[in-house]
Amino acid sequence: MIHADGLSKSFKKVVAVRNVSFQADDGKITALLGPNGAGKSTTLRMLATMVKPDSGRAKIANCDVVEEPMAVRQNIGVLPHDSGLYARLTGIENVRYFGKLQGIGKPDLDKRIEELTERLDMANFCTRRTAGYSQGQRVKVALARALVHDPQHVVLDEPTNGLDVMATRALREIILNLKAQGKCVLFSSHIMQEVENLCDDVVIIGKGEVKFEGSIQGLRDQSGEEHLEEAFVQMAGADESAESTK
Amino acid sequence: MSGFSIVFAKECIDNLRDKRTLFSSFSLALLGPILFVGIMVFVLERALGESDDPVEFSVIGAQYAPELMKFLENGNTEITNRDPVADPRSLVLNGDESLILIISPNYEERYTQGSPITLSAVFDGSDLSSTRRNLSQLHGLVNQYGRVIGLLRLQLRGIDPSIANPISVQDVDVASPAARALTILASLPYFLILVVFMGGFYLAIDTTAGEREHGSLEPLLTQPISRAQLVLGKVAATSLFGALSLLIFLVSLFLAIPFVPFDRIGMALEIGWIQNVTIFIIGLPLIFFAAALLTVVASFAKSYKEAQTYLTFVILVPTLPLIITQLMNVGPSLPLMFVPSLSQSTLMTDLIKGESVELLNVLISFSTTSVYAAMLTWVAVYLYRREQILG
Repeated sequence: MIHADGLSKSFKKVVAVRNVSFQADDGKITALLGPNGAGKSTTLRMLATMVKPDSGRAKIANCDVVEEPMAVRQNIGVLPHDSGLYARLTGIENVRYFGKLQGIGKPDLDKRIEELTERLDMANFCTRRTAGYSQGQRVKVALARALVHDPQHVVLDEPTNGLDVMATRALREIILNLKAQGKCVLFSSHIMQEVENLCDDVVIIGKGEVKFEGSIQGLRDQSGEEHLEEAFVQMAGADESAESTK
Repeated sequence: MSGFSIVFAKECIDNLRDKRTLFSSFSLALLGPILFVGIMVFVLERALGESDDPVEFSVIGAQYAPELMKFLENGNTEITNRDPVADPRSLVLNGDESLILIISPNYEERYTQGSPITLSAVFDGSDLSSTRRNLSQLHGLVNQYGRVIGLLRLQLRGIDPSIANPISVQDVDVASPAARALTILASLPYFLILVVFMGGFYLAIDTTAGEREHGSLEPLLTQPISRAQLVLGKVAATSLFGALSLLIFLVSLFLAIPFVPFDRIGMALEIGWIQNVTIFIIGLPLIFFAAALLTVVASFAKSYKEAQTYLTFVILVPTLPLIITQLMNVGPSLPLMFVPSLSQSTLMTDLIKGESVELLNVLISFSTTSVYAAMLTWVAVYLYRREQILG
């Protein structure tokens, strides 16, 4: 379970995230939805212990992200915005590096990598260096790297960015599979259809603040819109347009 | 396996796979000694050759001054007699001759009259080969002959010849080929320091600014490894490549130095394995210092390119004082031992010259540079603990 309570973060004078609270449950897929620059990445970075919140708290499986970062890091798998692979290492070596850093012993790690190779369908490219990978292949390796220590919590920052239809489908299968295993999946997106097809719960962020938290059906009910994109624009975009006309 | 060794091993493998970068970081270490020995051989061969080579030139009108010719031939000369030509300049311009001495037909007449005689020397001043040396030697020979004639004439008139020579300067040039060799040898520590910095140059960028630019720093920082272990692993990998670079340099130098004809200039220079090992030990803290300094500076850079620009300046910092001290001929002194790169280079200079180094100086140099390296590493760890490292 991921629990955020009043998270705020500013960079110099720019307020990126303001008093963000939400909860993502185990066995559910929760979407962090918002337009570009709404504060999604900053929120995920705070949860992943990369940056410290100015105020507020966040807990991953009852471990505080500020007080127990090491425990949190063992309990969370992060797919960053940019896959960030080492170009001169092979796909397998990229995964193995993080597996070692997670403290997994060699026999377990070998088994785990074999398992992930099969599950993510990476066998025909993962022994090559990642320099020439397609975007889909890069995301798969980055995902395998995030899952290598079998974390209970998986945080994905706009995972479908730049993927074609086939790769997006494959990724959707993988995410649903994680849900079936009872994992807590939190992913950020700005594409409503993607969220509609996949998610149980949705958290809408606009201008650094939470505009809505609840189920997809709840969003429909509250906004009075049957079409979810309209609901999203109404929730998050209203202030954006107000901001731009100022 | 600890986090430190995992990071260390990964950075080493990653860097080893980048063949082009690897070659450019080690090229100075590999080719530097070869270039260095080449220059030494060239300079020494010239210095050795000059004193023995005869003075070469041609003469037009030799028949007009048989006594002068006899004098010139008695010197260390190689004279070619040429028939008069209309334009001797063209002979030099088209490269047939490099230096022509022209004696005019009225030589005999003016000589008997006691009038001043002017000879012409035709040469190409832009010619950088041995022409200038031949010219000055020819001047010397002719002036010497002229002086003898003058002295004889004064004596014939009953005048003390020294009256025409109120003041004279006697040149004592003590520069031997060995001294020239030492001047070149003194630039060797400059190479040594540069090689240490070059070895870790690219790795320091790749593990910091490069990692951030490629987006791999962000996921790396979500791994359960302390920032201290992470940074230490990176600095250690950079140090290893600095050490490898120094090692390659010393081996390359060890193999190339026998080609320098030291025995012919009466110098028993020996850069044997004892000197090599000592140089390496003295250089060890500098390797760590370089790795930590490069890592700290590269951590500030936002991109690979920016880091490259910064580090090029960083490399200048430890090498500039070397050039200055070399020009001022500063030997190892106690205060100097507290300055990294300067202390190592002065100690190395003494070792290369075959002089002994004081143990106290070595200890101070070793320990102070180690402390600076540790402090810089701590700064790097501090930088990685800040959120700003994500850029």
